[in-house]
Amino acid sequence: MADYKEAPLATRPRTLDPNDYFNLSPEKRRADEERAALRANLKRQYQTQLNNPHRQELIEDPALTRWVFARTNPYPHFRPTFKTSMFGFMFGVAPLFALYFIFKTDRDRKEAQIKAGTRDRRLCLSS
Amino acid sequence: MLKILIPTMMLIPTTWLAPSKHIWPSALAHSLIIAIFSLLWLSSPGETGWWLLSNLMALDPLSTPLLVLTCWLLPLMILASQNHTSAEPVNRQRMYLMLLTSLQIFLIIAFSATEVLLFYVMFEATLIPTLILITRWGSQGERLNAGTYFLFYTLAASLPLLVALLILQKTTGSLSLLPLPYAAAFPLISVADKLWWAGCLLAFLVKMPLYGMHLWLPKAHVEAPIAGSMILAAVLLKLGGYGMMRMMVVLEPLTKELSYPFIILALWGVIMTGSVCLRQTDLKSLIAYSSVGHMGLVAGGILIQTPWGFTGALILMIAHGLTSSALLCLANTNYERTHTRTMMLARGMQMLLPLMTSWWFIATLANLALPPLPNLMGELMIITSLFNWSWMTIVLTGGGTLITAGYSLYMFLMTQRGPVPQHILALNPSHTREHLLLALHLLPLLLLILNPTLVWGWTA
Repeated sequence: MADYKEAPLATRPRTLDPNDYFNLSPEKRRADEERAALRANLKRQYQTQLNNPHRQELIEDPALTRWVFARTNPYPHFRPTFKTSMFGFMFGVAPLFALYFIFKTDRDRKEAQIKAGTRDRRLCLSS
Repeated sequence: MLKILIPTMMLIPTTWLAPSKHIWPSALAHSLIIAIFSLLWLSSPGETGWWLLSNLMALDPLSTPLLVLTCWLLPLMILASQNHTSAEPVNRQRMYLMLLTSLQIFLIIAFSATEVLLFYVMFEATLIPTLILITRWGSQGERLNAGTYFLFYTLAASLPLLVALLILQKTTGSLSLLPLPYAAAFPLISVADKLWWAGCLLAFLVKMPLYGMHLWLPKAHVEAPIAGSMILAAVLLKLGGYGMMRMMVVLEPLTKELSYPFIILALWGVIMTGSVCLRQTDLKSLIAYSSVGHMGLVAGGILIQTPWGFTGALILMIAHGLTSSALLCLANTNYERTHTRTMMLARGMQMLLPLMTSWWFIATLANLALPPLPNLMGELMIITSLFNWSWMTIVLTGGGTLITAGYSLYMFLMTQRGPVPQHILALNPSHTREHLLLALHLLPLLLLILNPTLVWGWTA
């Protein structure tokens, strides 16, 4: 293990990087321990609920609830910026005008051909 | 006509006078008998013209499939609501059933009305029971907002319709649907005539809904209880389509020019709502947006006014009614077990409830318009007649079909396949009632493969 050399472009994980392992400042270690304590608390909460023999319902994940709410209610937080206005224009306004132009010219051309008699209008059942 | 209407009205005393043990079985049996009798309407004496004609009501090839669908749906709604209302006091359950029944009565009169004003009054009347269902029996706080959107969008759009109908009454002297196709065409030239044209159609377009005015639909679908969602998706949207098909006759010379914006909105709506479906987290919301897309195709088919367009629209309306209602019932079975509509929380259902997966599969295949189901037949006829109208529409309708297949598959794979979430301990097994409910939804759909002439309207 001591003479393990990783691949030239790889990075060592933080816990195995010798610079990080031996030179930790006390503040960093305290912060790390605090975070580990929070994580352990959440894990304990989850496992209490998971292993509760009287539990009938789903375990609620508050982060998921917040995420679902955020996905479904973006409207109060909408800010009209250049990017969002461009999106709205490109997908909501411009296609309507473009399609009107396309369909109108196509059908007017068809109508002009019918009036001039150049269009092949044999019996068409599938109209 | 009366032999269906009077038993439906008698369903109200049935729900109020039955002893509390027998409310649901007796209401279910009563409505199922009415539904089976309504199937007799399908044996029509002729391909065109009206039958069962009376002073105010009649049947014709356009209204018969929609009426049979409505009558068929009431026992299904009662079956679906049995579970979530079981915790409520008895009188509230009776109230619920009475609301469903009154909605049914209004819908039967609306679809069979021979006078356009009677249709309009019933069209408005259906809003009240639906509003009460959504705002009283929905499950989240957003239901109030949903009820407001639903009521005011539809009401505001239908007031111009009332004015337009009164103008029509004044100029023609009668609003009866029987002579309307044979009336002389009106010289519609001024700007006021164009506004009259828009007024006639706006209510139905908002009801369908058309893409730009569809905001009420996802809210109403998501917040409504299961019976409310079923009746909304399966029948109330079709009221809009039916009204449009009836009114098209009198709107004639202007429609060639003025319908372009609405056809474009409808077709672009297919693409946009399909794309929105691909990123939905809420299952019922996905089904609601897919309804908007399908109804956009129906609106496009009706607005181009060709025989195949109308036929395709009618077939798609019936097939979509059954399919959408089946999908909403399936979503409800998930909701009753997990009390969440988030798709990610109820994955891997195939491992847990394998029989339900078969129903999910058939309903998903119906939603993505698999041949030979009538969904495909309707969509194909609409797409073909739109192609004849202008060849560029194939880009929009083809892309729409592709996206529909995409999100239907996404919905199926998300709910059925994949790893089972670790926090799901125990789910109630599938009840026989739920299997019966879905069988009664999907069996008519499969049987319609064999005899599509029942639902294709006037095209003989």
